[in-house]
Amino acid sequence: MIVEELVLPVLMVFFMLAAGAYTVAVLDRVIAGALGTPQTGSVWIAPLARGAWLMTQHANATEAPDWRAWRLAPALYLSLAAIGLAVVPWSGSLVATDLVTSVVLWGSVEALATVVIFLHGWSANALFALIGGYRYVALGLSYILISMFVLIGVALPAESLQFTQVVASQEELWNVIRQPLGLPLFLIVGLGMTFWGPLNLADSADLAGGTAAEISGPPRLVWDVARAAMLVAFSGVATSAFLGGWLGPWLPGPLWVAIKMLAVLLVLLLLGRLLPRLAPERCVTLMWVILLPLSFIDLVWAGVGALL
Amino acid sequence: MFPVLGVQGDKALRHLTLSPDIELVDSPRHASVLLVAGEIPADRFEPLRRVHDQLPYPFTTLWFRCEPWPHLENVTRIDDLDVLPAALVTAYHELMEGRRESSPRILLDKPPNPWEGAGDFGQGGEGMMGGVPYGRPMAMNMEDDIRDGLTLDSLTFRLGPFFFAFPPGMAAEITLQGDLVQTWKTQRAPYPQSLDPVFFAARKRLVPIAALELARARHHLYRLFHALHLAGLESASLSALRLANNLSTTSTLDGLRRYLSRSGFFRLAAIKGGELGPEQARRIGGPAARAAGLDEDLRSDDAGYRRLGFSPVCQASGDTRARWRQVLAEIDQSLQLARQAERDDVSTSEVDRIETPRGPWLEKRPEDASALLDEILPGQEWGDALATIASLDVAAVAEAPLDTQTTGESPITELSDDEGGPA
Amino acid sequence: MALMTLFVILIFSLGAGILMQCLPMRRQTKPPWSQRAPFLGGGTPDSHAWSRYHIRYYPMTLLLIAFEMEMMFMYPWAVVFVEKGMKAMMEMGMFLAILSVGIVYAWREGVFKWQ
Repeated sequence: MIVEELVLPVLMVFFMLAAGAYTVAVLDRVIAGALGTPQTGSVWIAPLARGAWLMTQHANATEAPDWRAWRLAPALYLSLAAIGLAVVPWSGSLVATDLVTSVVLWGSVEALATVVIFLHGWSANALFALIGGYRYVALGLSYILISMFVLIGVALPAESLQFTQVVASQEELWNVIRQPLGLPLFLIVGLGMTFWGPLNLADSADLAGGTAAEISGPPRLVWDVARAAMLVAFSGVATSAFLGGWLGPWLPGPLWVAIKMLAVLLVLLLLGRLLPRLAPERCVTLMWVILLPLSFIDLVWAGVGALL
Repeated sequence: MFPVLGVQGDKALRHLTLSPDIELVDSPRHASVLLVAGEIPADRFEPLRRVHDQLPYPFTTLWFRCEPWPHLENVTRIDDLDVLPAALVTAYHELMEGRRESSPRILLDKPPNPWEGAGDFGQGGEGMMGGVPYGRPMAMNMEDDIRDGLTLDSLTFRLGPFFFAFPPGMAAEITLQGDLVQTWKTQRAPYPQSLDPVFFAARKRLVPIAALELARARHHLYRLFHALHLAGLESASLSALRLANNLSTTSTLDGLRRYLSRSGFFRLAAIKGGELGPEQARRIGGPAARAAGLDEDLRSDDAGYRRLGFSPVCQASGDTRARWRQVLAEIDQSLQLARQAERDDVSTSEVDRIETPRGPWLEKRPEDASALLDEILPGQEWGDALATIASLDVAAVAEAPLDTQTTGESPITELSDDEGGPA
Repeated sequence: MALMTLFVILIFSLGAGILMQCLPMRRQTKPPWSQRAPFLGGGTPDSHAWSRYHIRYYPMTLLLIAFEMEMMFMYPWAVVFVEKGMKAMMEMGMFLAILSVGIVYAWREGVFKWQ
């Protein structure tokens, strides 16, 4: 029993962390290459070589960092990603932890991500990292509500806050069709959570890397891996919430989940490379004034749909 | 790599951007190789030493068309642009395989101020806010915020001359309140920029308008490349660069322009603000002035251009967004003029009134306008401020054209870094 | 048991994250002071970066609190929604309508701007 309920889930999550982060690195490189970034070498080996390089490089220090927080932040971000991956169901029975309140748990992961990213920017005691941290808080506080409304929307027809139930409720029709506003809004949240592409306000180019401007070596590796893993966790949740999780003809459930996650990742990575970075101020206005009312509409839509 | 460009340093930078083996990064912390590209003037040695010491162990330094400091051992100097990428990769591999020693630190290993144990508990100072914990004072409020008058701490620092978002060589003393610029003082003007030789030739004799206009379009595209990188549009910045490198009279800007407007560059990115008044616009001249509505372009006085039906394009608002629209419109116009001029074989008719891409060249070459930044940047959010700088071509025009200077006043430089993947 | 598993995953991943940073760093020497200066493109700061930072979106954070409270009610509401039917819909609709007025007011007051 211990093996089944403890060892297997932990191994599963760690496997997804490693495989997921690697997949994101490979996919992003392929997309960058397709969009014109010059590169040589094998896309399969490049992420590993980069990891090895970061492990040999020494970790940087600043004059008076908050050491504990500085080391804790990347590790915490990694654990948040792990927790997110743990609630993603791969089939009706294959899920690392099938918590009855897994939707709420994911909501708390999103909220804590803001704290962790801010901590990362703050603890370096360096100007650019600090600005990156504070900017990110503005974004984090704006996307969190959108995400909550959208997720509540998928919980309504399921009458449950459990991701396995949410998937089961999509037997007839996937939520992506039933609640057409849901997935696009949720993808924006995903870019925000991982500060990817257009919503990269934390580690942006104008801040010479923002919260990551002062880190090098192993801490940077952990930070990058955690970010990629978070993107995978997010795509897992998006798959369960909107794309019918393991549901699908012919192929076995887990394979369907993997395919759908890859599709979500692909969309996110493409958006990340195609859109310019939003100005923080415009980003906050956009989220509150346009996207949040849209998420209200999504919720009402979901509610009416669930009652009919 | 951490791109701070100079006259010829920026050329090396652009070359490396398109080299598949090299990854350029914006912060020295992310680098294993430091590239000093081009001559560094003596007054920027101290900042270079600081940046040099900020790369994490192990790292190595390459000097490109720049004399390495004599006290450094085991340094590599490269002069040929074509072998530079390979030399960087070799240096990186040697470093990783332990065949090359990490560069030594140049500066002394001591905190910026002595502090240890000054206070009662071994901390850095005395009293509530006094002293220099860990070698630096704590931030103290200096003045009220300019936007809402709230009195919180402001942070004062000097940035550059090797900051990638600045024109190469520029340095400024900046005070921030939150992420808003409170004061801005440009301390070092950017290095004068070299223009294409054709503009210098045009001052001596009549030249074909096609060549002149292509060089103008290329100059603007290089600036666009830089600004798009800053805006996070890596793939668009690369296509601007490729377009510039392969520019001919058959090139068109349509693809890039369509992509920019569809991706929301003009609506969503941080390119708000930075309005120039008419007087300020006149001081900087060139496309920035026309973006502010000044209808001045020396090409209107040239009979050759009049034959091609030239009339200057203008924007009204004079802010960062208008400047980019202006630059896109001017690139388009230049390509069109070049096409017509090539077909009809038209040459210039004036030699002492040349409109360079940087501005009008009458008796004097366009001069440095970086002091303008002190007036327009205060009150802007950090991202908008950097975008404003990227949109303004403030550097003076150097005495000699591109590629002919090897010594002397030129500046340039900088750093680079790593190549993440192993080749 | 699910919570236990989750806790183990948390501890393990946190441990992995910290070990990945700390194990290689045990062999590394501490960086010299000249390396530890914050990166400012060759420039220097006057002070530490930690400060009473001017957060310009501060009023927006207050608005968020109102909504966060609402979220607490919303989780249980979502579970019983279908059971309660139209009544639950109207109740939450009213709640959201009131909060939406708050957003409109905040927008008018320029809360989402960098003050």
